[in-house]
Amino acid sequence: MNALEAQAIAIAGQSTVPALFWHRVTSRPDKVALREKNRGIWKAYTWGEYGEAAKAVGCGLIALGLQPGEHVAILSDNNKEWLFCDFGVLCAGGISTGIYPTDSPAQVEYLINDCDAKYLFVEDEEQLDKILAVRERTPGLRKIIVFDLEGLRSFSDLQVVSFAQLTALGETHARQHAGAWEGRIGLSKPGDVAIIVYTSGTTGPSKGAMLTHRNIVFQIGALARVGLPVMDTDEALSFLPLCHVAERLGGCYGQLATMHVLNFAEAPDTVPQNLREVAPHILAAVPRVWEKLYSAVTIQLKEATALGRLAYGAAIVLGRRAVACEVANKPVPYVLRAARAIADWLVLRNIRIALGLNRIRWAITGAAPISPDLIAWYWAMGVRMYEVYGQTENAGLATSNTPRTLKIGTIGQVEPGTELKLSAEGELLLRGPHVFKGYLNKPEKTAEALQDGWLHTGDVGAIDSQGFVRITDRMKDIIITAGGKNITPSEIENELKFSPYIADAVVIGDQRHYLTCLIMIDHDNVVKFAQEMNVPFTNYASLCRAPEVQALIAREVEVANKKFARVETIKKFRLIDQLLTAEDEELTPTMKLKRSLVEKKYGPLIQDMYAPA
Amino acid sequence: MREPLLSVRNLESYYGPITAIRGVSFDVSEGQIVTILGANGAGKTTVLKSVCGAMEPQKGTIVFAGCNIRGCEPDWVARQGIAHVPEGREIFPFMTVKGNLMMGAYARHDRGGVERDLDVVYGYFPVLRERHSSQAGFLSGGQQQMLAIGRALMARPKLMLLDEPSLGLSPILVKEIFAIIRRLNQEQKVTMLLVEQNANMALRTAHYGYVLEVGRIVLEGACEKLTDNEDVREFYLGVKEASVRGKKRWKRTKRWR
Repeated sequence: MNALEAQAIAIAGQSTVPALFWHRVTSRPDKVALREKNRGIWKAYTWGEYGEAAKAVGCGLIALGLQPGEHVAILSDNNKEWLFCDFGVLCAGGISTGIYPTDSPAQVEYLINDCDAKYLFVEDEEQLDKILAVRERTPGLRKIIVFDLEGLRSFSDLQVVSFAQLTALGETHARQHAGAWEGRIGLSKPGDVAIIVYTSGTTGPSKGAMLTHRNIVFQIGALARVGLPVMDTDEALSFLPLCHVAERLGGCYGQLATMHVLNFAEAPDTVPQNLREVAPHILAAVPRVWEKLYSAVTIQLKEATALGRLAYGAAIVLGRRAVACEVANKPVPYVLRAARAIADWLVLRNIRIALGLNRIRWAITGAAPISPDLIAWYWAMGVRMYEVYGQTENAGLATSNTPRTLKIGTIGQVEPGTELKLSAEGELLLRGPHVFKGYLNKPEKTAEALQDGWLHTGDVGAIDSQGFVRITDRMKDIIITAGGKNITPSEIENELKFSPYIADAVVIGDQRHYLTCLIMIDHDNVVKFAQEMNVPFTNYASLCRAPEVQALIAREVEVANKKFARVETIKKFRLIDQLLTAEDEELTPTMKLKRSLVEKKYGPLIQDMYAPA
Repeated sequence: MREPLLSVRNLESYYGPITAIRGVSFDVSEGQIVTILGANGAGKTTVLKSVCGAMEPQKGTIVFAGCNIRGCEPDWVARQGIAHVPEGREIFPFMTVKGNLMMGAYARHDRGGVERDLDVVYGYFPVLRERHSSQAGFLSGGQQQMLAIGRALMARPKLMLLDEPSLGLSPILVKEIFAIIRRLNQEQKVTMLLVEQNANMALRTAHYGYVLEVGRIVLEGACEKLTDNEDVREFYLGVKEASVRGKKRWKRTKRWR
């Protein structure tokens, strides 16, 4: 990359994350930046307070001995302290890494040693216990800083410092060393590594993707480049894990470009309520969340009056018709426009209010494949949803649908300023300022991913004449049946997940004579079904065993099967009869089933499906 | 296998608009003590009240000795052989101890049998014989609990519903009461459905158990198995693996497997 190009990548004249952060803090100190719910009340924090807190953390770390280029890890759910620490570390010249709060002590040990973290921030007693259990094997770690001291009053340890102690230390240090902070902020260069984002690692240990300041500053300008407007009065909800590249770039750093207000969800299970309270203007979420909201509506509808159901059905049909015209860039006929306005006012508006989507200007879905029908449903509902595509290794966005270029069922066109092409095998390759620097400590993996400046995404796809990209599947996931037919499991899985009763599915059939599938049921909705249908059950396993539930899922599988050719249909299925939580290794932190792990772990179940009858 | 004495399927009960139990199913086999464990507000008492007829469930079936008794009047249910020992004892405070016991036998007409059973009750609870003529309201908490159990026994029930017999009693009395419950089951062959917060006692006494959480059964199993279950140990028996620091306040997520 030449010097001229590097120069061009800047926002508000700033080309590193800390410089841009400090520019925002000093230029708009009285504007609200963050909101967090404290004892039931949303409390606002201004950019000035945001900057003060980050500075206290950063100076505290400097006082403790953090050198530029050293790593610091954060092990916490999303909260304001997460961001204070993140920017504190970056401004002090450090490199920050997030660790999922659902990770096990062994995983925490691996990550800390892999990035050689010198300091670790932990949320509370529970997370502290994880590191205390393994700290003998993490010799590089100097200090552990705890946000929430509840339950730790009588605990004292030389290595453990409270967050309040750290910030007090930082404030003193800042008073004694005027200018040191600004000095550290000026130290970072655009090409330096800013953060490490660990990929969920469905096979083998997690890989730490090194993202530079240039990657980040380029990518947070992406929304503006593709034409998805954000205003500085907009509200957004932060609920996907900050360790994930989507929330880190889109939520936390994206705010530096767009200056909207970030609201933290209280906990992963309060997201629907928080969504209603905040009623965000912009919302980026993973398909799992969109599927959940959709099934909430379908299930609620079953309890509605006949009139209500009729009205909903009519409103959605009108919505779909109008959207079909809009998407095709044809004018919507006046009659249809009027009818839709009435339907919207009477029905859809109320559903949007109930979901917290009443103020939404646009929504983004990404990070996993989604059923095109689901996107069409949201459009019919009056929610403008754009599917995007990207991965950790390119710091988020790579292609996107936009208000100007929209084709439902594709992942849109390549992001302006970057390049995309297909390899001979059909793999998507990316090049541009968004491509990462490589994997930490893994030169051979880096060499696999980065060849001649092109990032090998591992996704197979196709590009149509207008430049819209369609992803077929992960390259290694494509199933070749014993009959030699190539099958893309994700297409079938998405169709299955469209059912409110199926949370996730893994299609199996590589080297086999027919396709089968392991299904994780949507617990809430299936329980509801069982209750309505008087199906006796006690625990999760007995719910999965119930013949009525088996029949229900069989019907849902049949519905999905109708959309596919004969060889692509699911012949048998089994339910995973354990309630899986984010702590379980079978699920990624965004609650997707990990294919390879599931295939290994449920081997006997799979064998059973291929056993001769 | 023989039909269970009591078989409950998909029971749903509401207090006004609030769902108390949402599709609960369980079995009580003859001669067994079955326990339902659960925290406050899980719906344990509602289950018992629905079985004995004091509450009318909105949905589900309750089959007792082969016939559906859901929605039947409580007095009729009692005559079929289900005796309820309510939470908080609920004895008649202004009647004598003996009068209370005779209320248990109200529906019976075999005077000789009643006399014999009175002796049996006095045999199990000698203190009731001593104080048979004093007002029941003057008994201590433990004695009142004994009286409530004795009163239920006087109906010669096939199934006894026990709602928190340990409530408000000292640890020694709790032990005593549970010892008697066990003896009644063994010697008098009374089948029992026991609802308890004192999970430790209940699991040691009963044969089979269900764990009820927010109106749903999340776990079932033989009591020895339940005692070994990780979640039951941490959330109901208060057994904790010591953390590195020696003590631990946080609780991990329940998984019920």
